Amino acid sequence: MSSLVESREGALVEDKMPTMDTHRGFVIKLLHNKRFLYLISIVGFLLLWEWAALYTSYAEYMPTPWEVLKELVRVTQKKLAGKDLWGHMWASIRRVLIGFALGSAIGVPLGLLMALSRHINALVKPVFDLFKPMPPISWISLSILWFGIGEQSKIFIIVIGALVPALINSYNGIRLVDPGLYDAIRMLGANRRQQLIHVTLPAGFPALFAGLQIALSVAWGCVLAAELVGARSGLGFMIILGMNTSRPALIVGGMVVIAITAFLITYTLSKVENVVCPWKVELPQ
Amino acid sequence: MSDETKLKDPLSLKIIPWVSIIGFFLLWELLVRTGLVPHVLLASPSEVGRLFIDKLTNPHPDGSLLMTHAAISLAEALLGYGLALLIGIPLGLLMGWFVVAEGLARPLFEMIRPIPPVAWIPLAIFWFGIGLTGKVFIIWACAVVPCVINAYTGVRMSNPTLIQMARTYGASDWQIFMKICVPSALPMVFGGLQIALALAWTTLVAAELIAADAGLGFLITMGRRLLRPDMIVLGMLMVGLTGYIIGVIIDRIERKLTAGLERGGVSS
Amino acid sequence: MIVDSIKIECRQVSKIFKQRGGSVQIPVLKDISISVLEKEFLVIVGPGQCGKSTLLRIMAGLETPTTGRVLLDGKEVTGPGPDRGLVFQKYTLFPWKTVMGNVEMGPKLAGMPRKKRRDLSQRYISLVGLEGFENAYPHELSGGMKQRVGIARAYANDPKVMLLDEPFGQLDAQTRYLMEQETTRIWASEKKTVVFVTNNIDEAVYLGDRIVTLEGKLPGSTANVYDVNLPRPREHTDIEFLELRHRITEETALLL
Repeated sequence: MSSLVESREGALVEDKMPTMDTHRGFVIKLLHNKRFLYLISIVGFLLLWEWAALYTSYAEYMPTPWEVLKELVRVTQKKLAGKDLWGHMWASIRRVLIGFALGSAIGVPLGLLMALSRHINALVKPVFDLFKPMPPISWISLSILWFGIGEQSKIFIIVIGALVPALINSYNGIRLVDPGLYDAIRMLGANRRQQLIHVTLPAGFPALFAGLQIALSVAWGCVLAAELVGARSGLGFMIILGMNTSRPALIVGGMVVIAITAFLITYTLSKVENVVCPWKVELPQ
Repeated sequence: MSDETKLKDPLSLKIIPWVSIIGFFLLWELLVRTGLVPHVLLASPSEVGRLFIDKLTNPHPDGSLLMTHAAISLAEALLGYGLALLIGIPLGLLMGWFVVAEGLARPLFEMIRPIPPVAWIPLAIFWFGIGLTGKVFIIWACAVVPCVINAYTGVRMSNPTLIQMARTYGASDWQIFMKICVPSALPMVFGGLQIALALAWTTLVAAELIAADAGLGFLITMGRRLLRPDMIVLGMLMVGLTGYIIGVIIDRIERKLTAGLERGGVSS
Repeated sequence: MIVDSIKIECRQVSKIFKQRGGSVQIPVLKDISISVLEKEFLVIVGPGQCGKSTLLRIMAGLETPTTGRVLLDGKEVTGPGPDRGLVFQKYTLFPWKTVMGNVEMGPKLAGMPRKKRRDLSQRYISLVGLEGFENAYPHELSGGMKQRVGIARAYANDPKVMLLDEPFGQLDAQTRYLMEQETTRIWASEKKTVVFVTNNIDEAVYLGDRIVTLEGKLPGSTANVYDVNLPRPREHTDIEFLELRHRITEETALLL
């Protein structure tokens, strides 16, 4: 006896298992329920992890989930190389903020100028393209050579990392402004200065903001990388310390904190974007 | 835009880029030669050039020829990258269509996703040491993320009308997947290839800077330890150059494949 | 008999587009001479790609003619300005500004103080029937509403002539009819000289005092001129309407 069920796309189609009785039907449906599967997945993963960490030959390489938690709590209470967890977090965040601010402060205006002036573009772009393929972290040796192992060497890397996407996005954001908008504002009587203020900047802003989001993301990756190479504080320092002292719980715990922080940063920024850019840009057809 | 603004590029615009590049290298050379920038801190372009020639045949002082370093770095990066494609793309495709696949894989994926690529390095080194395995693992862990995301998104963007049409002909889930979802997802998959590659290369360099005994990142670190800025700069330039070249190659491959698909008449 | 004065006219306007640094030349307009009388509603009809949008842009001052001139109130047009109100086919509203922000942009650029320009803009927002939507963003509006904003934005500068470039081309048939009626209503309550470009003969007969048809191939040149003496509001189904429509359709080689 066949029956009709609702398919994934919402249409009514024949149930391909016409002889299913209600019990097994329920189980099959449950096994296809996303939320249930998520649950199984997470629980299964945790169990597998716990088992592998305790009973397999990998035990000494794997901290149990519980051990990771305990280690994290410990680091919030006792100091690790002079700082507790929050102190290390702040050390990293502080570097990111400074580097990001500097990198954007250079990259955004420069990208703007390059988009507005063909001469400046011709001057800067070739050198910029030369540097662009070099990953920011590859500067670390030079940076440490120049600035030592202190704050400046790391901030230098972050500045480079944040500058590139900030520049590229503000450059493209300005370049790709719908030319019709310039027609419209000129018909309303705007002079060159007014065109810049009332069309160029607002029209380019969403792309610019997207560039800032990318820059912040890159900055976060850069600070970690810089801290991994040489640092005395910070979240990157924490996990390298875990590696050097064979404390896997510290490594994994640090990774968890890093991931959560990165996620919070991205999330906050996207919320800010909704407030700051409430309009949707319609792409020129 | 009126045609009045589409003037022929004045000659100045054609010359300026060259002036810029040449001027940049000249300035760099002069800064080091005249001692304005101390010799310990920076090597001049001519010195880097000489080192480049030298290291083509000379394994000193870091232990390998330049091309050996480059080859090692490339091997590690491409291996991890290839594995990421092999695992990530099918996984993402399956996750996009089959509820069971998404249900089981998604939570794990969402846990891996926010981890910045470089954060894997200490764990990988702790588990696998500083050799090939560790590096490949790191590259794989970070490159797999954009592969999955792009494959997944590509499948989700399949034309629902096509799917409904296939259903009315009685196509099974698997048939729809292979014949509609996968081909529709390919453009997005290709789009993700470049991103994953850039990520793989950057992360590899970071990993080599931290712990390695060969490779371009190692060359850069050695340069610092031996206070040889010419080695550092050479390493940096080689990293940039190699990254650029493989990017171009992947782009060419991508174009050939996409063109082939279009000619083959993939339904859109 | 009072002779109406000429508000805006094109004298032997030609336009040749140069591409690739001058090696490729595309003649778009040839010897166009049109006079538009004060407060007249002139419609220019032509098929796609016949240069009519270019002609309007030249009248607006966004392009310059290769030969010939455009005179507004006797003075040559040399560049864009608020004394000509241009309504775009693609609306081209400022997406980051609300309806009010868009409409008041012209007066704002001219330095009008806030209260005055708000009141002024409010008047025009009401005129086009968008009262209540002052704080909406363009992406929240339908096509017809967006175009109303475009009209209000141009009107707010008290232009000497309104130039409309296929303003209803992006709308569906229903909305298009509605907007044609609205245009007649708005124009009746605050009369301006209008040059309206369209590819739709129905629309032309419905709206215009006079219709100029352009040849259907490049370079565009004037084909015929028709006087529309039908009283407003017009009905698409009236005999006289249909007769004129038929005449125009026959005499143009257009497939509209």
